[in-house]
Amino acid sequence: MVTAYFRRAYSSFATYVFDVPARLLAFLLFLLLLVYPVTNPRLPLLFILTTANVMAIFAASWDLLVGRSGQISLGHALFFGIGAYGTGMLTKYFGLSLWLTIPLITLGGVLFALVIGYPCLRVRGPYLALVTMAFPLILTGVIFYFADITGGERGIYGLPRFFPFLRMYQLQLAEYYFTLMLLFVSGIILYKIANSKTGIVLVSILDNELASKASGINVTKYKLLAFAISGLFGTLAGSVNAHLLQSSAANMASLTVTLSFMTVIITIFGGLGTIYGPIAAAYILTILDRYVLNTIVEIPTEWHMLIFILFIILLIIKWPRGIARFVTDKLEDLQEERELEERGKHIWKTYKKKEKIVPNGESDHAST
Amino acid sequence: MHLLEVENLTKSFGGLKAVNNVSFQVDEGEIVGLIGPNGAGKTTLFHLISGFLKPDSGSVKFKDEDIAGLPPHRIVNKGIARTFQVVRPFRHLPVIANVIVALESPRGTRKIEWIKTLERKALDMLEDVGLTELMLEPAENVGHGDLKRLEMARALATEPDLLMLDEPFGGLNPLETDFLTKSIQRIHLDHPSRGILIVEHKLYALMKIVKRVVVLHEGQKIAEGKPEEIAENKRVIEVYMGKEM
Repeated sequence: MVTAYFRRAYSSFATYVFDVPARLLAFLLFLLLLVYPVTNPRLPLLFILTTANVMAIFAASWDLLVGRSGQISLGHALFFGIGAYGTGMLTKYFGLSLWLTIPLITLGGVLFALVIGYPCLRVRGPYLALVTMAFPLILTGVIFYFADITGGERGIYGLPRFFPFLRMYQLQLAEYYFTLMLLFVSGIILYKIANSKTGIVLVSILDNELASKASGINVTKYKLLAFAISGLFGTLAGSVNAHLLQSSAANMASLTVTLSFMTVIITIFGGLGTIYGPIAAAYILTILDRYVLNTIVEIPTEWHMLIFILFIILLIIKWPRGIARFVTDKLEDLQEERELEERGKHIWKTYKKKEKIVPNGESDHAST
Repeated sequence: MHLLEVENLTKSFGGLKAVNNVSFQVDEGEIVGLIGPNGAGKTTLFHLISGFLKPDSGSVKFKDEDIAGLPPHRIVNKGIARTFQVVRPFRHLPVIANVIVALESPRGTRKIEWIKTLERKALDMLEDVGLTELMLEPAENVGHGDLKRLEMARALATEPDLLMLDEPFGGLNPLETDFLTKSIQRIHLDHPSRGILIVEHKLYALMKIVKRVVVLHEGQKIAEGKPEEIAENKRVIEVYMGKEM
């Protein structure tokens, strides 16, 4: 009975994953990420990959808002900052465990998203982008003004780590696997939402808002929903990152324009609106930025941004629809080719068989 | 009781009175045509009824309920669906998903009979207008004539009590016009209580389907009556052809 259940679960998993080449590739990459630290433990890269996990959640959450519902926000760093400072303040002033502060501030992020999203709905397109860009700057101002509460530029430091009972290397390993699982779960939730009927409605708003209204869709509700989901996962990424760095403001980058634009770059590089694209791109770009340029090639930091940007510009010119779409398109083409080839072989075989049968049949007919 | 009752509706843009004191009714099961030369205010009237514009004064009553000034999606959910003069497909979505969007609206969801799934219903809608073969094609690859029919399938998905078609024959060739005429007639037969309001320039195609025609000119209603009467109405001919010398 139990084995039958498992067999059925496996077969449905197999048809869902193995029959679609792009999903199989994603599955294999995920396996690689699972196995990599065990086979080749290298501390610096492990930490970089942990950061990549968080960045991937963050970029994917932006992608749902912008790639699906078309509400261009250039201030997504706001949620990162809310997550970081929120969990820091909850820990410092209420002494809560991080397993409580992170869910709490994540819900707080949803509230913030709704409060901010509502006035934002009055503006569209480039104006929306400009308005949203202002929000992280406003929050930075507020944090600096109330520096004695928020810690200002230095933030709140000495935050607890995720698994304080573990030793150095084990701790890093545990944190890596924890963030990977978090990414896996958030990624699947975001992907499912993006491809559900709600996701279809969101794309309809991106395509033609007037026609969505004429189809009886409450556009405001769906836009706020997109803001809320995006805010939820954005805040989650920010708060987790704060506990990884043990400080809510280890880099004020968490609230600057750079982070907001980094999200944009990652998402467009990966493929806007795909959800899996930004996740893949987060790994590629984080590893390129922090590992290849830093550790392997050892280029002076001043040159990093230049090389980075050149690389991205070249790739976007080559694959304007994003790297993930390029790969899935290629894989689909290959599969189609293979199917055609097999069909060709099949036709060839039956043709050969017929050639053999036909003279026999004729001779039989003639003899009778 | 009339299905739709428009009374003294007025809307001006600056000094221009686009719709000036217009009143007319649509009854259940009636097909009404709305005609008039360019700039007569037909599309503005459509926008006023469907909630995309708010009237300056006057009332729009649907089933004895004042709906003037409600947001568009509320009006759709009360049972008035419309199409647009310029097609407005969801270009990134496949044809069938265009219909699914309308089925996701509160009224659309409610109108799915319990035995059907949403996808089944969407397929049925596409079958009604003859678009089943294109269902997985992204809407951006679909031709104009098919998009016109897609607009109609999307409007029909919410099973409206009043269907408003804004120039359904615009840009169609005679063959497509004929096909669409037939589908409108079939829709009318399938749902005998549904009212249909059509704005159209192609009078020849329109006069064949409608029972009553309302003529607008410079924002005002100048005539109303059966198609034959309208065709012989002096004022209407004057408006379309100019005065006799």
